[in-house]
Amino acid sequence: MTDPAEHLTPNGRHLLDRRHFLGKSATALGSIALTQLLGAEGLLAAERPLIDPARPYAPRLPHHPAKAMNVLVVFCAGAVSQLETWDYKPELIKQDGKPLVGGPAVTFQGPAGNLARPQYTFRQRGQTGKWVSDMIPHLAELTDEIAFIHSLTSKSNTHGPAENVLSTGFVQDGFPSMGGWVTYALGSENRDLPAFVSIPDPRGVPQASVNNWGPGFLPAEFQGTPFSASEPIRHLTPPPTITGSRDQAARSLLQRMNARHLEKNPGDGKLAARIASYELAARMQLSVPEIGDLSTEPAHLLKRYGADDPSNPTKAAYARNCILARRLIERGVRFVQLFNGAYASAGKLNWDGHSALKEQYDVHAGILDQPTAALIRDMRERGLLENTLVVWCTEFGRMPMFQKGAKGRDHNPDGFTCWLTGAGVKPGVSHGVTDELGRRAVQDIHPLYDFNATILHLLGIDHERLTFFHNGIERRLTNVEGNVIQEVLA
Amino acid sequence: MIRIFLQATTLLIALPVSLQAGQVDFVRDVRPIFEEHCHSCHGAEKQKSGLRLDIKSEAFKGGIDHAPDIIPKESGRSPLIRFVNGDDKDHVMPPKSERLGVAEIATLTAWIDQGAVWPDGVDLAKLEDKRDHWSFKPLQKQNPGRTIDDFIDDKLAEQGLHRSPPADPLVWLRRVTLDLTGLPPTPEEAARFRARISQNQGTDRPFLEVVERLLASPRYGERWAQHWLDVVRYADTHGFEVNTPRPNAWPYRDYVIAAFNNDTPYDQFIREQLAGDLMNRDAATGFLVTSAVLLPGQIGKDDASKRLARQDELGEMVINTGEAFLGLSIGCARCHDHKFDPITSKDYYSLQAFFAGVEYGDRPLRSPGAEAARQEAKRLTTRRDEIGKQLAKFVPLAGSGVKRAPVNAEQNTERFAPVKARRVRFTIRNTNNLEPCLDELEVFDSSGNNVALASEGALPTASGSRVSANRHELKHINDGQYGNTRSWMSNEVGKGWIMIELPRETTIERIIWGRDREGKLKDRLPLDYVIEVARDSGEWRVLADPTDRAPYDPAEQKPAAFSLTGLDPGEANQASHLLEEKKSLEARIAALGDAQMVYAGKFKAPEPMHLLNRGDPEQPKDEVSPAVVAALGDLTLPKDAPESARRLALAEWIARPENPLTARVMVNRIWQGHFGIGLVDSSNDFGHAGTKPSHPGLLDWMATEFIRSGWSVKQLQRLITLSATYRQSGHIDPAAQAKDADVRLLWRFPARRLEAETIRDSMLAMSGRLDLKTGGPGFDLFKSRGGLSGFPPVESFSGDGLRRMIYAHKVRMERESVFGAFDCPDAGQSVSRRRQSTTPIQALNLFNSRFTLDESEAFAKRIESEAGSDIPGQIRRAYLLALCREPDPVESNDAAQVVSGEGLPTLCRALFNCNEFVLLP
Repeated sequence: MTDPAEHLTPNGRHLLDRRHFLGKSATALGSIALTQLLGAEGLLAAERPLIDPARPYAPRLPHHPAKAMNVLVVFCAGAVSQLETWDYKPELIKQDGKPLVGGPAVTFQGPAGNLARPQYTFRQRGQTGKWVSDMIPHLAELTDEIAFIHSLTSKSNTHGPAENVLSTGFVQDGFPSMGGWVTYALGSENRDLPAFVSIPDPRGVPQASVNNWGPGFLPAEFQGTPFSASEPIRHLTPPPTITGSRDQAARSLLQRMNARHLEKNPGDGKLAARIASYELAARMQLSVPEIGDLSTEPAHLLKRYGADDPSNPTKAAYARNCILARRLIERGVRFVQLFNGAYASAGKLNWDGHSALKEQYDVHAGILDQPTAALIRDMRERGLLENTLVVWCTEFGRMPMFQKGAKGRDHNPDGFTCWLTGAGVKPGVSHGVTDELGRRAVQDIHPLYDFNATILHLLGIDHERLTFFHNGIERRLTNVEGNVIQEVLA
Repeated sequence: MIRIFLQATTLLIALPVSLQAGQVDFVRDVRPIFEEHCHSCHGAEKQKSGLRLDIKSEAFKGGIDHAPDIIPKESGRSPLIRFVNGDDKDHVMPPKSERLGVAEIATLTAWIDQGAVWPDGVDLAKLEDKRDHWSFKPLQKQNPGRTIDDFIDDKLAEQGLHRSPPADPLVWLRRVTLDLTGLPPTPEEAARFRARISQNQGTDRPFLEVVERLLASPRYGERWAQHWLDVVRYADTHGFEVNTPRPNAWPYRDYVIAAFNNDTPYDQFIREQLAGDLMNRDAATGFLVTSAVLLPGQIGKDDASKRLARQDELGEMVINTGEAFLGLSIGCARCHDHKFDPITSKDYYSLQAFFAGVEYGDRPLRSPGAEAARQEAKRLTTRRDEIGKQLAKFVPLAGSGVKRAPVNAEQNTERFAPVKARRVRFTIRNTNNLEPCLDELEVFDSSGNNVALASEGALPTASGSRVSANRHELKHINDGQYGNTRSWMSNEVGKGWIMIELPRETTIERIIWGRDREGKLKDRLPLDYVIEVARDSGEWRVLADPTDRAPYDPAEQKPAAFSLTGLDPGEANQASHLLEEKKSLEARIAALGDAQMVYAGKFKAPEPMHLLNRGDPEQPKDEVSPAVVAALGDLTLPKDAPESARRLALAEWIARPENPLTARVMVNRIWQGHFGIGLVDSSNDFGHAGTKPSHPGLLDWMATEFIRSGWSVKQLQRLITLSATYRQSGHIDPAAQAKDADVRLLWRFPARRLEAETIRDSMLAMSGRLDLKTGGPGFDLFKSRGGLSGFPPVESFSGDGLRRMIYAHKVRMERESVFGAFDCPDAGQSVSRRRQSTTPIQALNLFNSRFTLDESEAFAKRIESEAGSDIPGQIRRAYLLALCREPDPVESNDAAQVVSGEGLPTLCRALFNCNEFVLLP
């Protein structure tokens, strides 16, 4: 044909197009080793991933050598207060009850009240002597392994849009999630499971819901598959009214129909791809129930996670999700997103502590703390952190003042804390600083773009080169921003 | 001060001898510094902060925030020097790589102080003219005598390729029927077509007849409207976090369907969507407000949050207009001049000014009948409420042994034998979650009066109340007002009590309570409770509790239907009459109500629009007038132009035949609809970042024909679907495949997977259950029509659920549980072309879902009723219905074994999943 570049942007966006792919791989779909193909095209450090339509989740090479192969994101929905957890502000204790001089009269939800001291006692932990609060005693023991970033900022002070920013890089609905970008870039090491799994909190979906694991305008292959220890994948099996033999009869008839059709239409990769998708679906029918079956986990381990706690069913359910997360990572699932906290509920079901922060955080911390800490330790002991990056994040922080007439804090996107640990992360670091009251970031300020760029970097991905052409723009997770936070890299 | 002094001293010392005395030469001394340190971010490839240092004119213009960066003779004031010096902590240049040496800084400083002489004609790069682009130029004149096939054949011949032979006519029939209507041809249509072919050997007449029949079918608009709705990201919810329903959006969806069915000239289609309120097409302006939007409660209370939200709202209108009509990514210019196209930030805000008086929201549909409808709805509502009260008299008595309806969040009636009461106590023992909340506790005497009202002198007390700002106060329990904001909430999780003391002992016989009678909230619902009364004498007596109610089902969102169980025949008769009347009233009220409001933008006096520095609402610059992109036209309106005149002027400008983009963009969309990909594959972007057309001559020829035909979409589609290019076979020729794997040159028909809606609609058509009802509010794909707490899918469909999928209530961001996985747009961002993914989730959904199994059963029943019990006959019928062809003997035998072993539904299930069924051939 004519010079293909005539129809392409200079960057050759068609690499993703399946027909183009098939043109390159002729009819021997799947029989050519992908790396060979990549090598032949000189694309080992591809600008853009090349997707084999019959094996969309096949592992793909990163831009540069990766420190981490997998990611576990612990996503705390509702905006966890940095002031009650990781960002110690002794000055705020001193100024408890005083007005914030020069502070805003009105914040997100209404009139601002006076400064309020952290609601938990802080003490120094580990070798680093990092001050962490008593709200999360188990996680606090891990601080020597963690790289904190205390100076993050977000573009929105509303939960849904801010969760969009954290997960997709954009305020608006409809952009691909980070897990989508990562699996688009790297595929997965596991042949029998989805490449990207989202585990919703037992209390419900997060505020921005499916946006956090949606494909946006990426092909649907790269959306997260939501399931948890208590909620299986939808349509994984037919209803029980369909007997096994009937199911098998339908499946093998379908196989024969498709095989005959392919014979009559040789060379059509779309047909082969659909056949392959039914084969992967069949493998998932076996592997997903197996991975969700926690009965093989020993009793002491369930206890360690808190999965056997009869006094706190929500904690036990979240703990079972934590164990599921570990099992997924063990089997090479590329991106696992584990939610803690659900939708807006005046702080009852998530971390949105507007009115009764201490009372509600006592409950939420009781759910988060032990299971999450057990998960990280368990992963470390099994050697999983050699290859796995663990991200703890929340959409924004909270104000140093209480809201007028309430005992809780309003939204604060101007300086908040998230952290990293595991593969490629420098342990025991606290990077970035908020002012002495924790109102806003003042030193080494990092918009969330930087945080996301850093995560991609650890996976071997250059955030400026991982793009997808949509409506006239080479879109990226980091929009046109983003600088890798070098200080937290090992 | 000290630091500056020291630096200055160092500079002097370090200055090369040649410079201390002599002139700095730009080419010899300065440009190499720029090349080494600056051009990687401020050169041809990137222009960070809008600054470019490889072209004289651009360099002196400066970047976005600090322009000008070079101030001749004033190095001290020139940002360039400040940044390279490191004086400004936030802007140290270069930011990442090695800093400039002292001598280099000295050279730059000296160059500026000597007047920053930059000779003309020395630049190595040339500023490209962004206006010099194919799509901004007038349509190229084409020979009107040519055909689509001529253009296609020319390009094929250039590559030594040729068109494939014609497809089997029945393959074409299946292709064109699915393509134009989104439904498969029936066996009868196929038979008729075959007969017409044999009657009209060698002529195109049978093909022509089919196309005319399909274009005239109401099914056509239902199919083609979906393509447009994808582009404008239509949905029936508001999106973002709360994602509440947008119940009056559907008139716009119906408008688009009707516009396609009526073949509304495309230029008129544009005018109506921007200014239909002036043309008796009120619903059309739904176009302006199709995007997701934050509701007032989700926007911060501080002014900066409000200003940002308003800018976001307006931005979506500009983006939609730019992408849908002009194929331009104008939104890129919100924060900076467009990187590739001739669209400045000023252009962006000037365009925004056309929409300065448009807000998101419902407005009364202005039509002659609307006011009458409003009056009528009011009258009917009064009657309906009356019936509701009367019906409550027939609710089964509490504790009578008849099973009562489960508790629900909207409204619960407790009926009991008349009893004297001074005090009524409602004690809650358990809730579905959190602290219990009741919006009103009503106590009725024998004549049907609510005696618990505060206005009647009744006094409430409670175990405790959890009051938040403006809501949940004790007094709300008997204030006669419904809904969450007028509700009482206990201060204890899962329990609490409320008591109403009546002014005097009264005989009562009914109590009605609810969590939220407005039907919005379902949480905090008392599940276990006891209702007691006490007379003046003080002894408490139990009247009702939920032990005789059916168990609560959290998935069931609506109150249970009224049950006649336990009524004597006379009562049952009376009640069922009332029920029927109520049902008919509700339907009439719904119809009237829907007809009177439309989510199509609200119009107000335009607010002033300013150019915003870097898109930041807190950094307004000059006020702008409504104006089109300066590089593309010169339409400018005065700053005080009235609201509707602005939109109309913009519409007229877009819809001019001379506009080089408008017709090209639309004909390309039509072509894409038929072939799966446009001649320009980036159909929302005809700018520099988009792709060039594969067949420029054909694109311009079609655009010219389109305008000449009076912007008739259907006329263009006749030309396309009857062309030999469209009628050719889809079979793969390996030699051609090797040359043009993408089939962009169309050496065959590019078969593709059907869209989500087409698969679902086709399955229903085959099962014989498809409901062809048109228009009106959407049916439910989920058990919730919007809100926070998730969207449990409807799994088994009946009634309206069997309508075509375009008539579903489209929840933004939430993909339908079976078909959503087939790349169904989420209505977040504009989808100009659907991807065609193939995923295991699709396979699981289509193979295992209740929907597939239900339709397989129904399909099997239909086949049995049409083909009888003969298995080969059944298989033949199944193939004709599903694939528009007969099975060959191998297929028939294979299927027969399965059917005799496992039944006909198993064959149907396999057919719904097979490649031949889900592909457009």
